[in-house]
Amino acid sequence: MSMDQYAETFREETLELLSELEVSLLELEQRPDDADVIDRVFRALHTIKGSAGMIGFDDISTFTHEVETVFELIRSGGMEVTSELVNLTLTARDIIKSMMEMSFGGEPVAPEMMTRLTAGLRALMPAETAAASDVASDVGAAVNAGSEETTYHIRFRPPANIYHRGIQPLALLQELTRLGRCRLIAQTDSVPELDELDPELCYVYWDAILTTGHDEDAIRDVFIFIEDDCELKILAINDDLLDSGQGERLGDILIQHGDLTQQELDQVLQEQAKPKLGEALLKAGVVSGSQLDVALEVQAEVKKRQKQRQVVDEATSIRVRSEKLDSLVDLIGELVTVQARLSQATAEDDNPVLAEISEDVERLTWEMRDHILNIRMLPIGTTFSRYQRLVRDLCRDLEKDAELVTDGADTELDKTVIERLGDPLVHLIRNALDHGMEKPDERRRAGKPEKGTLHLSASHSGAYVILEVRDDGAGINREAVRQRAKKQNLWTSEMENNDSELINLIFHPGFSTVGAVSSVSGRGVGMDVVKQAIDALRGSIKVSSLEGVGTTFTIKLPLTLAIIDGLLVEVSDEKFILPLSAVEECIELRRSDVVNANYKTLLQVRGELLPYLRLRERFELPGERPDIEQVVIAEVQGQRVGFAVDQVIGEHQTVIKALGQMYKHLRGLSGATILGDGTVALILDLPPLVQEAEICEREMVAAQS
Amino acid sequence: MAKKIMAVDDSATIRQVLNFTLQGAGFQVSEAEDGLDALSKLESDPPDMLITDLNMPRMDGIELIKAVRKAPWGKFMPILMLTTESQEAKKQEGKAAGASAWLVKPFKPEQLLAIINVVLL
Amino acid sequence: MEYLTFKLDNDEFAVDVLKTREIVDLRAVTKVPQSPEFMLGVINLRGSVVPVIDLRLKFGMAKGEVTQSTSIVVMDVLVNGETVVVGAMVDSVEEVMGLDDSQIEPPPRIGTRLNTEFIRGMGKQDEQFLIILDIDRVFSTDELLMVQGVAETSSADSI
Repeated sequence: MSMDQYAETFREETLELLSELEVSLLELEQRPDDADVIDRVFRALHTIKGSAGMIGFDDISTFTHEVETVFELIRSGGMEVTSELVNLTLTARDIIKSMMEMSFGGEPVAPEMMTRLTAGLRALMPAETAAASDVASDVGAAVNAGSEETTYHIRFRPPANIYHRGIQPLALLQELTRLGRCRLIAQTDSVPELDELDPELCYVYWDAILTTGHDEDAIRDVFIFIEDDCELKILAINDDLLDSGQGERLGDILIQHGDLTQQELDQVLQEQAKPKLGEALLKAGVVSGSQLDVALEVQAEVKKRQKQRQVVDEATSIRVRSEKLDSLVDLIGELVTVQARLSQATAEDDNPVLAEISEDVERLTWEMRDHILNIRMLPIGTTFSRYQRLVRDLCRDLEKDAELVTDGADTELDKTVIERLGDPLVHLIRNALDHGMEKPDERRRAGKPEKGTLHLSASHSGAYVILEVRDDGAGINREAVRQRAKKQNLWTSEMENNDSELINLIFHPGFSTVGAVSSVSGRGVGMDVVKQAIDALRGSIKVSSLEGVGTTFTIKLPLTLAIIDGLLVEVSDEKFILPLSAVEECIELRRSDVVNANYKTLLQVRGELLPYLRLRERFELPGERPDIEQVVIAEVQGQRVGFAVDQVIGEHQTVIKALGQMYKHLRGLSGATILGDGTVALILDLPPLVQEAEICEREMVAAQS
Repeated sequence: MAKKIMAVDDSATIRQVLNFTLQGAGFQVSEAEDGLDALSKLESDPPDMLITDLNMPRMDGIELIKAVRKAPWGKFMPILMLTTESQEAKKQEGKAAGASAWLVKPFKPEQLLAIINVVLL
Repeated sequence: MEYLTFKLDNDEFAVDVLKTREIVDLRAVTKVPQSPEFMLGVINLRGSVVPVIDLRLKFGMAKGEVTQSTSIVVMDVLVNGETVVVGAMVDSVEEVMGLDDSQIEPPPRIGTRLNTEFIRGMGKQDEQFLIILDIDRVFSTDELLMVQGVAETSSADSI
């Protein structure tokens, strides 16, 4: 609801009050002791302050409050009216008037004027009162709905005269039931005999068993207006209570409620041989049936909670050191390898029994592999809260206003992937807020809501997880990218017509369009680092952006790092694996298909010219290349590239092994795997291979010219 | 039938805010400028609830609450008092006079409606 | 202390037996492109991929012939503060023997083909000298930088 509709009323009212104030102040100068006049001045100020605050003119409200404080003091006899004070107040009145006119399009008020006046007024006030002036506000029902629900036992005994304060217990209880699932039990044991009963008093008290996601404060807030006058006991049936051991025995519960004393309990326990305690207590007349009901209900809730906890403790999850999981993954990797050997051996041997066993082993191995890899899967949402905090802190630092909306928190990803995804995501979020998101006033001018939205979503897509970081900020400035690209010699004329190619330049090493150094994102450190991190996870990242509308980063990641589908190829008797996810097709390459243009090695596939690189040359492998080579065409960073090999052997379930420290600095290889015959094959890391090839090519062209 | 609420405040702005908020929530609203004005209107047609400012000319909020509680029609009437500062003393004074609840100005419309929910059945 | 001794050409070397894991026969080695010659490549050691170096080449000796007794000594080596499993190809493994510190002399300043940094000391037994290796040094960062150097020059990227 807009406050603007009240502005006109406020203006009229305040103008009227201000002229009254002027008249009163002039009168006050003549009769400084007239309590009536002092009162009028105070009230005028008080009303202006109240209305201004109400409709959002906070500056007027705060300033008027300063002046009002002085007159409150005078009214209570703590200070005298002097002509200096009247002068100051008259000036204050003019300032209030100007402030208001400013709000309606008038000239702004110089802040020094206000501070000088406030200082002047404070100087007149006795020292100790001058310091303490505050405009406080409270009563904000803390509706903090946490995700986990707790059951509470609430005992509410209103004061007998509650009706005389115009408060209906029923209204309070109704409000209480709105907090969650609630069972109410009225206790009538204090209701007197009819002849002693005063119908205007309240004798009943209530017990409530409430299961709610709200906290204890929210429950107290319901009773806030009579909290000091009523009896209100709130007992959370939570782990603390369970740990204390209380709440298990009926007698304890009743004593805790104050329905039973220890002596009464002891007495009944002594008298009865082996009864059900509840029945015995009823029979002895020391507790009422409804009190017993409540205690039983609490006891049942405690038991339920205990059982839940037991189940959680014992069965639903166990903690395992992640190293144990890692070794399990290693083991299944070996099993997959051995199984491949078994299959190979069986295929060479014509033994139907062995073939059947081999098939069974294969099936079991795959099932086991899937299960084991699944154990390592964690919902990505566990990291989302960290980003909430990040967004909040960044907004404060950058003076921006944005909220983070997350989606797909339950999407599962390999633990290692999640861990290594942290930094790139932080980077993207930081970038979106720093460079993408506009300041609130800019957004308003652009006709957008002042509060920006940052979407972080995760979803499954086959063997991949798609992550999206989307902002509704200013988008990527094409002209800035273009300028920068030209400066760094990255510009090609094709980019003029290919927008996606243009904006994906931001992933180029050292590329940054932001002129000003920002404390948050730094300069230029950024997208290339993000890209490298995603590449290292064998994922890909793309950006799309609309100027003025926002930017979306899409990250595609393999579900797991441990095992991939690979394509096994051979070059000069050495075996290599290409990630099958990147492979599009395989073709034969004859010498006649090769086009030599400007040192660029191109090949023609159905009329399309594709760059390709020969692994034999790239890895300096010995031997002559065959007359007919095979070319594996893969998509690498949005580009179709061919890799020429001697032979394509076929698909291969590839258990990835790291090459380790010794080969840490090698580029172009991402690991190794063990083949069915026990030998080791190397896994190709395509993006760096292509990058290097491009650089080599550029240098050759440069050398030629 | 719509519940009736009377809003008492010497500020026309606040009266208007109250009126709009309450009408928007489906209440039938009447207004008064101060305690005396309110009393004269209340007697002829007592509402289901009273919302009153404390600091007003002629008769202030505390006096008004006391007077209402003495009247047969006002004995059990829910009364919400509006204070400007969250002064404990004022709250206690209002409570002693018989106020059901209080709300500190400036407030948000939803705060007002939340409190009405608690005190008005 | 106990030492595992092995032969390269006519010289006998020793390493702390606690650094060794096992001795395996030479098996199929997969070459890793563009690494220094002394880095033979990687082998499959019961499902793990383990790098193997040719100690002869590493120490600047001539490449040896592969014989029946050619073996791979698998060791735990500290590289950049991280324990790495590495295999070293040697001509033959001799024995495990005990040596007191008193039987060990400091490395000679001159008169050895070997970088003295790699040598922890000289042991003497039956008039035969043993070169006791500091195997972590052999795989130290400086040495590894060679690998890095190769990788960088070959990639020739000027980012």
